[in-house]
Amino acid sequence: MPAAFADMPAWLVAAIASFILLNGIALGVAYVTLLERKFAARMQSRIGPYRVGPHGLLQPIADAIKLMMKEDVVPTAADKPVYNLAPIVFLIPCMLIFATIPFAPGLGVADLNIGILFFLAVSSMEIVGLFMAGWGSNNKYALLSAMRAVNQIISYDLPFVFASLVPVLLAGSLRLGEIAAAQAGLWFIAYPVIGQLGFIFFILSTVAAENRAPFDILEAESELVAGFRVEYSGMKFALIQLGEYAHVVASSFLGALLFLGAWSGPGPEWLGAIWFLIKAMLVFLLVTWVRWSFVRIRVDQILALSWKALMPATLVLLLLTAVVVVWTGNGR
Amino acid sequence: MNAETIAFAALALVLVGSALMVVLSTNLFHAVLWLALALTGTAGIFLLLEAEFLAAVQLLLYAGGIITIVVFAIVVTERLVGESITQTNRRIVGGGLVALALVGIIANAIADSPLPTTRPPLTSDLTRAVGETVLTRYALPFELLALLMVAALLGAIYFARPDD
Repeated sequence: MPAAFADMPAWLVAAIASFILLNGIALGVAYVTLLERKFAARMQSRIGPYRVGPHGLLQPIADAIKLMMKEDVVPTAADKPVYNLAPIVFLIPCMLIFATIPFAPGLGVADLNIGILFFLAVSSMEIVGLFMAGWGSNNKYALLSAMRAVNQIISYDLPFVFASLVPVLLAGSLRLGEIAAAQAGLWFIAYPVIGQLGFIFFILSTVAAENRAPFDILEAESELVAGFRVEYSGMKFALIQLGEYAHVVASSFLGALLFLGAWSGPGPEWLGAIWFLIKAMLVFLLVTWVRWSFVRIRVDQILALSWKALMPATLVLLLLTAVVVVWTGNGR
Repeated sequence: MNAETIAFAALALVLVGSALMVVLSTNLFHAVLWLALALTGTAGIFLLLEAEFLAAVQLLLYAGGIITIVVFAIVVTERLVGESITQTNRRIVGGGLVALALVGIIANAIADSPLPTTRPPLTSDLTRAVGETVLTRYALPFELLALLMVAALLGAIYFARPDD
């Protein structure tokens, strides 16, 4: 902690850190959407947003203002308290998971000793908000989407957890800061066989857990219009979108931290945070690349992929990692 | 009153309130949401006791997993049957009496053996302690639990299987 903060009360430091982080996420997410739109446009031989500001750089700001000005339409038949609370309940876990991520050595809101477990536990709470939105809207498309979401999240939470546990075993700690520090010599993605397989499984289950194409059956524009958020408009819609993108960005940071060595990179130490950001954006672009490259697959295919392939594979990989860790004498 | 006491009082209020709403609300879906709040509150209590690992597991398994499955069950049954299922019970007086009796028994037990007012400090990393005891001292009960779950799963599959 820098010396300037030393004589401040602890709660004030925590409040300031959270304030900076929350605003950073909101702004970061806005520009991540621009990055995705530009990237997707290039993949489809388009230019993407270009009109607002130089190279469309002000597009996210314009979008945010537009969303704030929009009328807030509440369906008459909606379950009002549930409908109104859903975006907030959805957003909170998506924001909370950033709390444990150390953006540079010692630079995070809370480097808990159960860091990764906190991330996994809180991000699994997202489904409650999602389901409240699906149910509260009292719309059959929204409800169908929420049901599909439950199916998918039950199926992909476990492979996601197992894949994330591989670096935990290699580092011998649940604390995200220590997992990052353990990769100072060798990034876990470079760990023979285990690292690459773990990373592939992690990316696969991230894409599925974030409900992005080819696993976006709960959004499925052609059949469910927009899924669980079909009845939302204005700022409530914006909150859901913010939560969804924040979750993707947080998962990208987690992927960069678990497999790509977090802040380690050439150059002076203060460049660490920048390296981390670049790596996280690379993971995000990888996820986006998958999204814009494949077509949506069917529900049964999604479930079969999880239970018949991904689940046993990640479980075997986890066992294998445990054996290797004990064999090489890294077990503590 | 220190911060911990205030936090405990607030959490206790949330817990008792949401637990009451679970049994009193007439809408089954709302009851489940209150249950989610109650389970999250329990995780908060674990956090107050410096049991971060248990708090995270509580969120992951109960608030995340169990709630999801309960909600799924409601949606599948309620919407397909086409009539809403009520979950309130008219025997509220009898239920209240039983609950009161239970509170009496627990209060009596607590009063008989006064608990130490200050919590003994943790001597080791709780997460490590949980991991080690589960895999050494309590390995057998742990495995037996796993066996029980497999049996439950097989039973569920047996009942869910279409007749042919």
